[in-house]
Amino acid sequence: MTKNLAPIDRIGRVVLGVVAAFSLLLLVAPSLIVVAISFEPRGFIAFPPSGFSLRWYEHVFANRQLTDSVVVSLWVSLAVAGITLALGVPAAFASVRGTFAGKAAANAFLLAPQMMPGMVIGIASLFFGAYFAFRASNAMLILALSVFCLPFVIRIAMARLAGLDPRLDEASANLGAGKLETFVRVTLPQLGPALVAAAAFTFIEAFDNVTVALFTSDVRGRPLPVELYYLVQYDSTPAIAAISALEIGLSFAIMLVLARTVGLERLGR
Amino acid sequence: MSHIALQDIAKSFGPVRVLDGCSVAVDKGTVMTLLGPSGCGKTTLLRTLAGFVEPDSGRVVVGGRDITDLPPNRRQVGYVFQSYALFPHLDVAANVAYGLRVRRVSQAETQARVRKALDLVSLSAYADRYPARLSGGQQQRVAIARALVLEPEVLLLDEPFNALDAKLRLSMQIELRKLIERVGITSIFVTHDQQEAMTLSDRVAVMRAGRIEQVGAPIDIYDRPRTAYVAAFIGRANVLPVDIRGGRVAPDPAIAAARADGAAWLVVRPENLAIENAGEGPGWHGTVAFATPQGATIEYEIAVGMAEPLRVVALRKVGEPPAAVGSPVRVRAVDPAACVVLGEGPDSV
Ligand SMILES: Nc1ncnc2c1ncn2[C@@H]1O[C@H](COP(=O)(O)OP(=O)(O)OP(=O)(O)O)[C@@H](O)[C@H]1O
Ligand SMILES: [Mg+2]
Repeated sequence: MTKNLAPIDRIGRVVLGVVAAFSLLLLVAPSLIVVAISFEPRGFIAFPPSGFSLRWYEHVFANRQLTDSVVVSLWVSLAVAGITLALGVPAAFASVRGTFAGKAAANAFLLAPQMMPGMVIGIASLFFGAYFAFRASNAMLILALSVFCLPFVIRIAMARLAGLDPRLDEASANLGAGKLETFVRVTLPQLGPALVAAAAFTFIEAFDNVTVALFTSDVRGRPLPVELYYLVQYDSTPAIAAISALEIGLSFAIMLVLARTVGLERLGR
Repeated sequence: MSHIALQDIAKSFGPVRVLDGCSVAVDKGTVMTLLGPSGCGKTTLLRTLAGFVEPDSGRVVVGGRDITDLPPNRRQVGYVFQSYALFPHLDVAANVAYGLRVRRVSQAETQARVRKALDLVSLSAYADRYPARLSGGQQQRVAIARALVLEPEVLLLDEPFNALDAKLRLSMQIELRKLIERVGITSIFVTHDQQEAMTLSDRVAVMRAGRIEQVGAPIDIYDRPRTAYVAAFIGRANVLPVDIRGGRVAPDPAIAAARADGAAWLVVRPENLAIENAGEGPGWHGTVAFATPQGATIEYEIAVGMAEPLRVVALRKVGEPPAAVGSPVRVRAVDPAACVVLGEGPDSV
């Protein structure tokens, strides 16, 4: 195939290859460096590491405060993924299938939080909570993060829903299925992969969000990103790198599970 | 009493009045065909009957029961969509089984009935294919099987055969007709193919801009079109401006007209015209503009000084050359009784 290419095309291919490789390197290198640093045996951050040790991993797992914050983060992220799915899917339905006055305005409103910096949402939630004498807490964190993540879910669900043929619902009804049965038998199976993707992305987003969490999280049961934020300020050791490496591993594991179950190429749809 | 009765259905989408007081009645166990140009409201009428479109006014009655306000899933009305609407996440067998599953029919019976339905549409070999991997014609047959497997009392088919090749189309038409007769299904069916309408239907309804223009047995409509529009829609027809004088049509007094003197329109089928030698005498005088031998027949276009040439279909004898282009001829009606005289022409709406 390459034999028949004109010289200019061949040069083009080489350039394209080099640019692609370089971009890939830029994307992946920081993660690889963080992972490398996490094996540093000494007490400060250095690259390349002077040896190999799991010392900082032990350190991380021995730190009650850190492991507690991981548990908090896991719960918070799960809750956020659940809430955004429960709210986002019906909202997406309304904004794609619904016919009501002010639909365009409602759509814009639903997707608005995406335009707003997380910090603003965090501060706004804090003030809003304060007004009702509702203190920063993990409940508030969950609410604020749900607001922050909702547009993701709505977006993904909307994109998929818009691609579904409404005739399929009619066909199902014609064959005797009620609305609920049609949803379960026809809509959901086709929405499934998109919803799994939405849940996974929301989970990851909620898990490592700092900007919103910084303002809304509980002072005692802090989630992992906030805990880390304070940790770096006082104590800059390879423990940070070890935690980062663990997070990278978690994201990787989620992607792997997704790829195996629904298939990566189906996720985008 | 008719099994299906659509009474005075009106429906507008925004400012567009798509159905305009449309009434159709179909007797039990018979096949009614809707014929009409694209956009005249055929699909909308079927969708109203299936419950997907809520009419602005009018009633839908099936089996003596008013179902106007019944949701689609509670109407026992099978529907074959113009766009197939197969479930992409289910294979062929599961698509066909869908209605049975919804009705909680036992596994064994479902399998047997699905197999029978797939046999009927010659798709048994494709039971575990997904719709994305079927040709248009195969998808169409799955859609038909999916509706038929429920043996509905009423079956609506929206151009069900348009993606099939001629041979398959004919065999499906015959199979469908047999099945409809055996099960006693009352059906309405949309087609653009008037040959299909003739083969398949007991009655034909010609639609025009949201109304029924004429209903009748296919051959009656062919023989006695009530308007020029219907005449042009069923089979081919010459619609000619003529003068009536003393109860006779002016150019060819052999044709009687039971109407007052003045301008009128004459509908005459191409096979009911014959070419005679030029010369004095009644008929239309003109010259041969086109001659196309078609095997058993020869098709002529005769320029007679009107906007449209006359179309004439003559039987052809083996070895006989068609009349030469440009030669002067006279055209007369073969059977004057088979001509139809109308007060209104093709342009009046
Ligand atoms: N949901 C809808 N919203 C707006 N207009 C519609 C809708 N459905 C149909 N129409 C319009 O109604 C008219 C009739 O449509 P319909 O589908 O009934 O035509 P048809 O006779 O089935 O045509 P075809 O032979 O092309 O299938 C068309 O002008 C179409 O644009
Ligand atoms: Mg149509």
